[in-house]
Amino acid sequence: MSVEKMKIMGIIGKKDFLDRVLRLIILSGNMHIINALSRVNSDDFFLPPTEKNMEALEEEPYLKLYSQKRDFSEDEKIVKLFYQVFNLEPQLRKDFLTENYDYNDFMRQFFNIYRDLSSTVNEIEEKLQEIEQKREYIKNLKYLSKFNLDIHYFINMKYLVFKIMRITRENYDKLKRNYQNIPAIILKVVVEGKNVILISITPETLEETLEKIFSSLNYTLLPLPKEVQGTAQEVIEQYSRSIEEEQRRIEFLKRSIEEYKIKYKDELKKMFSRLEIEKVIEGLKSEIGIGNKLFFMFGFVPLSNIYNLKDELEKQFKDELLILIDDVNTTSSGITPPTKLKNLGIFKPFESLIKMYGIPAYREKDPTLFFGLTYMILFGLMFGDVGQGIVLLLGGIILEFVYKKRDFGGLLSRLGFSSIIFGFLFGSFFGSEKIIPALIMRPMENINNWLILTVIFGILLISSSYIFNIINAKNEKALGEALFDKNGFIGLIFYLLLLYIIFQGIIRKGSLSPILIIIWLALLLAMLFKELLITKLFRFKKSSQKLSINEYIEKGFGIIEMLLSILSNTISFIRVGAFTLNHVGLYIAFLTLSRMMNTLWGNWAILILGNIVILTLEALIVFIQALRLEYYELFTKFYRGNGLEYVPVRINNMFQKEDKKTLEYKRERLFVI
Amino acid sequence: MDKVTIYSTINTKIRIKKRGFLKRGDYLNLLKMKSVAEAIRYLKGNVYYEKILGEVNPETVSRRDIEDILKRNMIKDIDTLCNYFHNDYKTFIHSLYMKYEIEDLKYLARRIFNGKEYREVEQPLSFLGKYSKIDPAKLWGANTIRDLIYLLKGSEFYEFLIPLIDGRRENLFRLEMALDTGYFNIIQSRRLKIFPRDKKLLKKWEGLVADLYNIQWIYRGKKFYHLLPEELLNYTINFGDKLIYKDKQKMCYARDTEELYRMTLDLPYGFLFKEEEISTDIFMERRINRFLYYRLRDLSRRSPLSIIQTVEYIWLYELEIKDIIAIIESLRYGWSGEEIRKYLVKKI
Repeated sequence: MSVEKMKIMGIIGKKDFLDRVLRLIILSGNMHIINALSRVNSDDFFLPPTEKNMEALEEEPYLKLYSQKRDFSEDEKIVKLFYQVFNLEPQLRKDFLTENYDYNDFMRQFFNIYRDLSSTVNEIEEKLQEIEQKREYIKNLKYLSKFNLDIHYFINMKYLVFKIMRITRENYDKLKRNYQNIPAIILKVVVEGKNVILISITPETLEETLEKIFSSLNYTLLPLPKEVQGTAQEVIEQYSRSIEEEQRRIEFLKRSIEEYKIKYKDELKKMFSRLEIEKVIEGLKSEIGIGNKLFFMFGFVPLSNIYNLKDELEKQFKDELLILIDDVNTTSSGITPPTKLKNLGIFKPFESLIKMYGIPAYREKDPTLFFGLTYMILFGLMFGDVGQGIVLLLGGIILEFVYKKRDFGGLLSRLGFSSIIFGFLFGSFFGSEKIIPALIMRPMENINNWLILTVIFGILLISSSYIFNIINAKNEKALGEALFDKNGFIGLIFYLLLLYIIFQGIIRKGSLSPILIIIWLALLLAMLFKELLITKLFRFKKSSQKLSINEYIEKGFGIIEMLLSILSNTISFIRVGAFTLNHVGLYIAFLTLSRMMNTLWGNWAILILGNIVILTLEALIVFIQALRLEYYELFTKFYRGNGLEYVPVRINNMFQKEDKKTLEYKRERLFVI
Repeated sequence: MDKVTIYSTINTKIRIKKRGFLKRGDYLNLLKMKSVAEAIRYLKGNVYYEKILGEVNPETVSRRDIEDILKRNMIKDIDTLCNYFHNDYKTFIHSLYMKYEIEDLKYLARRIFNGKEYREVEQPLSFLGKYSKIDPAKLWGANTIRDLIYLLKGSEFYEFLIPLIDGRRENLFRLEMALDTGYFNIIQSRRLKIFPRDKKLLKKWEGLVADLYNIQWIYRGKKFYHLLPEELLNYTINFGDKLIYKDKQKMCYARDTEELYRMTLDLPYGFLFKEEEISTDIFMERRINRFLYYRLRDLSRRSPLSIIQTVEYIWLYELEIKDIIAIIESLRYGWSGEEIRKYLVKKI
């Protein structure tokens, strides 16, 4: 409906409060922060010289932007470890943030726990590695278990080297064929799939040669423990026992972690939220001006929220802050106010299509209402069908409420609704015109009239976009533009006259009074010499715009182009009628196809398939065509869309169960307690 | 399906593609060129190469870029050929990439070993990731041989490389050898469901290549690497056409290159060694390539409508790239045509 009014809020206070003020502002989620220095330096910034403002006035000329960037990587590491080990879900919760706390004090209490915890975690990891190592030894020792000998003697032989290894079968064949040249005793232990397990014994002096030979066979050495006594079987048992022991130790450590968890869980849960908001705060600081003792921050706040925010700030900080509230002054401050669209819920989804074209400027008229209405009508006209409209409506509702696609779902259900209405008017149900009666007319039966009607509708829309442009120009205090621009008042009259001349002279072949033609030509000239007229009529304006001959020639072509585009814009609306017919036509095509089928089953299959094609393909095309009409035929006349979107600082995804984007915590198997 | 249905289309396609190859006259003309730019301009005059090199500025382009363009075009070609085949034939065509990717991997490993920067690459590694399906950008990021091995996880090469990781064997030499043995292992152990006739032809052709590579390997191993005979033997390719195990064993245990040379004279490949040229190994490689070139054309002529025409096309294309690059490289150093000619695979 409109663009929400904004005011500029300025907050000045002691630097110690900065973090807490920012936290409050982020949680309130209403302020669009602007650079403090550009605000202080703008012409309309004024701090009244009162007692209370003395200190701020002193510091004002020496402000600097906050430049230190705090590094949170250490804190992140702590949070990550805690959340991983305790298996907590990182959650952003407002109630953790509204409590009165100091971030640094809050974090400090965890440092000792963190140290204990990381040493425990490290110990668990070490133990796990040991277990892994021993398991590997056990696996390798099993190959030796058929020898009933003390393996200590094998492994620690003085003049001979004992090795156990794995090579592929092909390589084993190579080894076997050339065995006479290999300086070692080779013993095949077992064949495992593609591989062979071997034992080799060789004198130490030949070890190097043998190593080269085995390397060329791409062997994998199977490691054996050094310091062991007894047969392989005994050693295996020994190791199994110690693995059990270590597992018990791990269990014990895990239990102690669990105890920590129970003890500190509630405090720990707050950590993630607090760290996240601290990161946002740190990001904001680059826009804030810092003096000796004070900070200065400024931002746009919508009128509807500004006094609530002020009350809240005053409640928490009493007299410690200076809060300034100024009106937006677009002409002199040099700061562009952001645009916050305010529309009824019914038209809200259409904002996303408006934003696709551009955000309206702060003083511009928000076209959402006009757009929403006309878009629904255009869509309905082109795609009026009760049955398919119901499908779109339901689809939209499902998207909106089940899949939480609010914009697109909302859009779809509104379009579906409009389609149902026009479906009743045209008497169309899933393409068929036999099922329900038409309330006004069946376009297919009056093709010519229908096409003419849609063009007339287009003329109405185009005229209203002229009117919008005139209003916008008036709001911007550009009266000359409002009157003489080709999209202004004169443009509108010119357009209507042109249509009348065409209608009267060409279609009805009636007589035209020459005065009309003269007026029409005069308007044409007025548009051509727009700048000259503006300077003549509004003497207060500086005649800075003197145009050269070349520019007049260029403008002359501009006028010709305008003439062409006026006509094509108008004719363009024929497509609305054409698509209405197209909808019926497509159905007829599928109906004919379905009649060619011999079975009832085939009949229905074709009809359903046809409806699916119409519903997906045609609805998409109509969706695009309607958008095209709005953007090109209408928006180009009156809508600039060069505004700045209102983006208040806030934390997104508050209260969500898990926020995977900000924290990718992989829980390793060890920590799933 | 019979061989006519499979091969009549593909072979027609190949015949048309082969028309794009440079003719003898083209080579003679190229040899007369005075500069790289001139040679490239000449190539652009050829219809087929004009399409490939269209965008290239002859004055500024580097030898490396030309090589990259040609190789990428070769990839495109093989991909196109792939479309004409189905099932295991497709697998086979795809496995042709393996040889070229291994060459590139070896080069990459050498670069890592030498600690070179990205920009200093002399050779384009166009085939990287083509067979292994590993993202080339990742492979480029490897800083050590160990990294490279781990990055290849998931490819067929991995199982041959992983035993190298033990602290002592992750070096360039072992990696290169493991890749090569891996390659011959893979192509030998694959069980393609293709026509017995095609299988026989492939076996013959791959055996021939293996024989020649084995001889070259044993010779180089003796001359440059001073490997133990056992190592040398272990690294030879396990199959072949005319060479049997005993031959290889005998050659590996030869006392020196002199004895090796005398041994080869009794083998069917005796012609490969010319005593007066034995000091210039590049001639040996060229001779092997030239021999393969003629053998391949011969095979292809004798077995029409078979898989060998496709193999032939890809090999011929590779050898043509080799020759073009050799000419460009030699022109850069200002060699005369007479001299360049000695280094070409084709007999000009």
